[in-house]
Amino acid sequence: MAAGTTSIKPTQVVVPETPAELQRVPLVGNLRSFGWISNRVASLCEDKAPVWWWILFIPSALCLGMLLFMLSYQISTGVGVWGNRHPVMWAWDIVNFVWWIGIGHAGTLISAILFLLRQRWRTGVNRAAEAMTIFAVMCAGIYPAMHVGRVWYDWWLFPIPNANSIWPQFRSPLMWDVFAVSTYFTVSVLFWYMGLVPDLAVMRDRAKTRLRQFFYGLFALGWTGSNRHWSNYEKAYLILAGLSTPLVLSVHSIVSLDFSVSQLPGWHTTIFPPYFVAGAVFSGFGMVLTLLIPLRSIFKLEDLITMRHIDLMCKVTLATGSIVGYAYSMEFFIAWYSGNPNEQFHFLNRALGPYQWAWIPMVTCNVLVPQLFWFRAIRHNLFIVFIMSILVNVGMWFERFVIIVIGLHRDFLPSNWNYYHPTWVDIGTYVGTFGLFFTMFLLFIRFLPMIAISEVKGVTPQSDPHHPLGGAKVKEHTAQ
Amino acid sequence: MKTHSVPSFQQESGRAYWRSLDALAETPEFRLWVEREFPEGASEWTDPVSRRQFTKIMSASFLLAGLGLAGGGCRRPVEKLEPFGKMPENYIHGLPQFYATAMPTQTSAIPLVAKSNDGRPTKLEGNALHPDSNGGTDRYAQATILNLYDPDRATRFLNGGKNAPAEAALDFLAQLSRNAQSNGGQGLSFLADRTSSPSRLRLQKLIQTKLPQSKWYAYEPVDLDLHRRAASQAFGQSVRPYYAFDKADVIVSLDCDFLGSEEDSHNHIAKFSSRRGIEKPSDSLNRLYVIESLMTVTGFNADHRLRVAGSAVLQAAAALAAEIIKQGAPNGLENAGKPAGADPAWLSGCAQDLLENRGKSLVVAGHRQPLAVHLLAHAINAALGNVGSTVMLLPVEQVAEQGIVELAQELNAGRVDTLFILGGNPAYNAPADLDWAKTQRKAKTVARLGYYEDETSTGCDWHFPAAHFLESWGDARTADGTLVPIQPLIAPLFGGLTDIEILARIAGAAVADPYSIVRETFAGFVGGGDLEASWRKFLHDGFLQNSSSKPVQAQLNTGAVSQSLAAMKVEAPTKDKLEVAFHRDYSLDDGRYNNNGWLQELPDPATKLVWDNAVLVSRKTAAELGVKNSEVVEISVGGRSVRGPIWVQPGLADYTLGLAFGYGRKQTGRVGTGTGFNAYAIRTSQTFGFAPGATLRSTGETYPLSCTQDHWSMEGRPIIREANLEQFRKKPRFAKGMEIEDGEEQRSMYPNPFDQLKEKGLHQWGMSIDLNRCVGCSACMVACQSENNVPIVGKEQVKRGREMHWLRIDRYYSGRPLAPKGTEQARVNFLETFHREQEQQFEDWIENPQVVTQPMLCQHCEAAPCENVCPVNATSHDQEGLNVMTYNRCVGTRYCSNNCPYKVRRFNYFDYNKRPLKELYLGPFGHRKDDEWDLIKMIKNPDVSVRMRGVMEKCTYCIQRIEQAKIAQKTRAGASGDVVVPTDSFTTACAQACPAGAIVFGNLKDPESRVSKLKQLDRDYSVLELLYTRPRTTYLARIRNPNPKMPDHYYSEGPSTLQEYDQKHADPFREEGAAAERGAESAGKGAH
Repeated sequence: MAAGTTSIKPTQVVVPETPAELQRVPLVGNLRSFGWISNRVASLCEDKAPVWWWILFIPSALCLGMLLFMLSYQISTGVGVWGNRHPVMWAWDIVNFVWWIGIGHAGTLISAILFLLRQRWRTGVNRAAEAMTIFAVMCAGIYPAMHVGRVWYDWWLFPIPNANSIWPQFRSPLMWDVFAVSTYFTVSVLFWYMGLVPDLAVMRDRAKTRLRQFFYGLFALGWTGSNRHWSNYEKAYLILAGLSTPLVLSVHSIVSLDFSVSQLPGWHTTIFPPYFVAGAVFSGFGMVLTLLIPLRSIFKLEDLITMRHIDLMCKVTLATGSIVGYAYSMEFFIAWYSGNPNEQFHFLNRALGPYQWAWIPMVTCNVLVPQLFWFRAIRHNLFIVFIMSILVNVGMWFERFVIIVIGLHRDFLPSNWNYYHPTWVDIGTYVGTFGLFFTMFLLFIRFLPMIAISEVKGVTPQSDPHHPLGGAKVKEHTAQ
Repeated sequence: MKTHSVPSFQQESGRAYWRSLDALAETPEFRLWVEREFPEGASEWTDPVSRRQFTKIMSASFLLAGLGLAGGGCRRPVEKLEPFGKMPENYIHGLPQFYATAMPTQTSAIPLVAKSNDGRPTKLEGNALHPDSNGGTDRYAQATILNLYDPDRATRFLNGGKNAPAEAALDFLAQLSRNAQSNGGQGLSFLADRTSSPSRLRLQKLIQTKLPQSKWYAYEPVDLDLHRRAASQAFGQSVRPYYAFDKADVIVSLDCDFLGSEEDSHNHIAKFSSRRGIEKPSDSLNRLYVIESLMTVTGFNADHRLRVAGSAVLQAAAALAAEIIKQGAPNGLENAGKPAGADPAWLSGCAQDLLENRGKSLVVAGHRQPLAVHLLAHAINAALGNVGSTVMLLPVEQVAEQGIVELAQELNAGRVDTLFILGGNPAYNAPADLDWAKTQRKAKTVARLGYYEDETSTGCDWHFPAAHFLESWGDARTADGTLVPIQPLIAPLFGGLTDIEILARIAGAAVADPYSIVRETFAGFVGGGDLEASWRKFLHDGFLQNSSSKPVQAQLNTGAVSQSLAAMKVEAPTKDKLEVAFHRDYSLDDGRYNNNGWLQELPDPATKLVWDNAVLVSRKTAAELGVKNSEVVEISVGGRSVRGPIWVQPGLADYTLGLAFGYGRKQTGRVGTGTGFNAYAIRTSQTFGFAPGATLRSTGETYPLSCTQDHWSMEGRPIIREANLEQFRKKPRFAKGMEIEDGEEQRSMYPNPFDQLKEKGLHQWGMSIDLNRCVGCSACMVACQSENNVPIVGKEQVKRGREMHWLRIDRYYSGRPLAPKGTEQARVNFLETFHREQEQQFEDWIENPQVVTQPMLCQHCEAAPCENVCPVNATSHDQEGLNVMTYNRCVGTRYCSNNCPYKVRRFNYFDYNKRPLKELYLGPFGHRKDDEWDLIKMIKNPDVSVRMRGVMEKCTYCIQRIEQAKIAQKTRAGASGDVVVPTDSFTTACAQACPAGAIVFGNLKDPESRVSKLKQLDRDYSVLELLYTRPRTTYLARIRNPNPKMPDHYYSEGPSTLQEYDQKHADPFREEGAAAERGAESAGKGAH
């Protein structure tokens, strides 16, 4: 229907009412207009920083400072300042590495896989989730780089041609980690930045100070919103989505190979790659929920991050949590079925051994808690969802602890058996990475649009030319 | 032959060319050398005549500087380089030299070969040429070299606590000598530690003749001389016993830890183990019965062990004697009573076995036991006809002497003018009732020769620094009586003196330098002939041929035995009257090694505690007293008390408190300060071995203890495989049958690249460890530490599991009761496996367990799990089968350790070499003091890298020795191309030190090598073969030899580790035909 014809007036169109049970909850509530969306999202970075932002930012920055102190202490003094020991040679360092990298899964999954699957609801949450991914991967990346005994030789892990013709050991999963994590980080940053370009142009166009104009202008890369720009943008976005999709699956699969390639009971299992990816998506969505539930109410974004978004994310959490639960039970089953006494001992030792206190919260938080998401009432109770989303990440932290520490503390020869305790430096470093994460995230919500303005506009009813209200057929809806 | 002759530019004295460190730093030549930009001669080079001189000196000094760097700060010789202008014969730069010497012990000596790198001794090994040695040593001998470089040793002469010039101290000696000569030694007393030195004996006799009024007192806190006194009393002449453990088929130990804390234990281990290395099913084994209160190394190796209080050993001995001695039994046997808690059938079974092995059996009594037990042991041996076959009586020359108690009486009576204390540390270790620190001051003048400025030094007017035996001339006699030289490897670093020098000066002997004294003594031994030639041979070989004592015949004096029995009264300990058993510490001896870091960090073979002693109690006693591990208790006995932490020790006799000596020093060096508590505080002259009637009270405090092995049980896993002799005879290959995964190794889709590579290697290195020979003495651990520059990490770090030992001894207890499935006991057993390690102390089964030990080191797997996980190729395989570690390449991801199923890799969590232990956490702000640095650098083996922090390290099979052997062979081969190292021509440090010969290293490609042959034995198996790591280190299964007639039940059904295995897996002794049935059954169970 061309807009130029005069025979039919929009008001005369009779829209057959869809039965209520078939009606989809719109992805943008309250039929918000394009202008409202731009204003709402952009103003978050343009207004004066609210007091709560400072209240969160200052402690976060202090924690970041603590992280720097902890790392300098560890690098200058030795890995011994941490609690890891013989035989638990990896402990909080690798636990936290895997935990953060798991959290870093949701963003790219949301932006890439859901994009390819045409899950349009992703637009409301993808920007913040991607930012979270990047910051989580940064936190994760610190650990493998810093946990080694001689940090200054980390570059030996890269295949750099050198006079000695010594190459890294390509059979080592740690080597694969280097590639997997760095590729994942690079592609995630590119993908995130690609998506930001049109929005940076919006920010540039709205900028009132020279400084903002300069920086937003610089990073907007001369975006004008021309058809050619949009056409190139969409193609590039699709290609990057295609590239990121296998990376989402590969990065945690490869991290899981750090364990499954080894010989240890509890580590040496083929189930790890899918199980780790499911766990990572699980914890990633948990973290997205943790971050977005408060933000949407503080920033009054309920119309952009609707209850439908929350509901869908809860369902993903439920699905992945159930996969994780299945994996736990399969581990026990296989240990029994294999007849391998070392495997059997390991799994019994998880449940009955000295680290029972870590195994119980793992099972509770990762298997039992998400099952509550079967209930719609729970999915729609933001307070409960918020608490549960935190429990998911608590559970996932314990999962990594259980795998790594319980796997190592009692292995083949009982003479080696030992009990691990963290030190204040372990704890300080972990808390410090939260400082890094939240500092980065708070800066992100201050200076960059935390919701993809252009993409959200694309999922409003009015942007669909076939929609009765779509195209240029209606005036701006003003029902406020 | 390892020894070379002494470098010969100053043949006669052999000592003038060494300089002390102080002298080195202070000599004008050295100052000049340091300050000048160019070496001497360099600035004069314009003079054409001196150009030749310049070239000569420059090349020599560059060579020296290079050596200094390569050696990581080795000490530069102080000579004006003439020695290298005319190269001594057999001296090659960079190659170590070996000298024969010996380590003196209380009543014996350990013949040694010392390795010297450019003038500094770096490693001690046993002298295998010695007729009574197989080259093995004990822990102390391996570690004593660290004492030589101890920065806290006495380095100065002291007068009244103030520094005094050496001249003044020697003037004092001269004055003392003059005074003594004038009054015949009136008021002069000597208090000396014990030694077997003939030179000292000679000087002692000289003093007795020249100063007849002087008195000689001997004191050792661990009274190993008791064996001589007992034998002399039992046989009515001055003899000492010499035990031929290799000739005994049945050995009964009456609280005698002859494999651990008795004198010459390394020698006993060699002889004992020579009867344990069973090769064929038809071979025989000896049998060891142990009656003891503590859990000792000897107890580990017992085929039958009876756990009784220390005081009840007398009753056990009497019971044995009553059954064995039919004719002329000593009176009073029947009055001794029966040992509490001991099964009479056990004792009669033991006695029966002894009777069946007349002349081939041996009963030995321990130094903690009273004289009566020793006399009973001699009586039993005499009755069995063992005297002359397994017990030799060697004549011993004795000079009149008294003990420290008599000296205290003299002191208190004011009859001592001058007291000269030679060695020892009585202020620390004298019986508490003597109140020695005060008593000592009652002499007008107290002078002392001491290795440390310790508790005794503070109460002395004169203190002379003692020289280490590696710095001084001396001599000694080994247990068989053979004369051995003590040859210095280095001049006294701090100008110390020796006891013989001091005695000679006091006696006013014509020659007072130790070299001449020793040579003079030697001359007395050889009589006529070419003295110079035989002296040089003596020094070269490290012993005097055919100088061993000839055994004498003697009749038992039954009267002495009866007399000693009459005085004995035994009261069984109870909860309220506990019995304290004092014991020599496996690491610190009587406290003399208190400041030795290697020994402080050497785990006690039984408790696996480091850096501390503890109050050892049995589970039952702990439960009744309501105390648990690490709880600090106060022990009171006879009005004296001491506080220490509790440690529940499996296998300990009930109501016994085991207290080790050597800790709780008030004045010691930086290593020993603050370790443990002083057990001497409650030991009196009346309660020398054990103290009855002690009470224990909890203080409510706790004291952290560091233990290197937290878990006690093997949990039924086939790690150490053992069987009884009869089972072994039934199925010699039982060890293979205990594999978890039956059948052939699965063929991998990807063949191991090493399989092709290994065809190219000229040698294939491998190791075999005989668990039946290994007694768990831990000498190998210290040998490894010394050879490979392995650092110590301190108590706190050990508590964090960060000890660095490349080789450890795993010690497991077994004996959990068996239970059919579904029973309550089965449930308890199942759950106990998952307990926290701290709970073990409360478990019932640890009351009287069996013990097994296993040296665990890098297994050099052919398919090494550590290698493929290292991201930087820092650990890899060489074509000779070594799993090699490139420290320089290691970044420290620690993944290799995680993937090592044996967990034998060690990580440098801190800069253990660079920082003092107390400042590890200070990082770059922690600095070692200069004195410490200078000495620490000297002890390092220059052929082994010193690792920095952040690097993984592990056993290398002593790759430096392998390379040296290969290079030496290449040199020998010349054009012939015969570069294969001769069969068994060298070995690793651990294998070298092992007195038991349990560790054998060699070339697997050589079918004639000992290791190749051992690996063919039926007992050979590899640990964790289920992982297909194909280790190059394999073990020989342990065979116990219990007596089927004995009442203790589990001995008859096989060792308890085997039963535990059987319960979890399957019986390896089931008939062959049952194999299929077994497979069906395990499938039915779903799991093994």
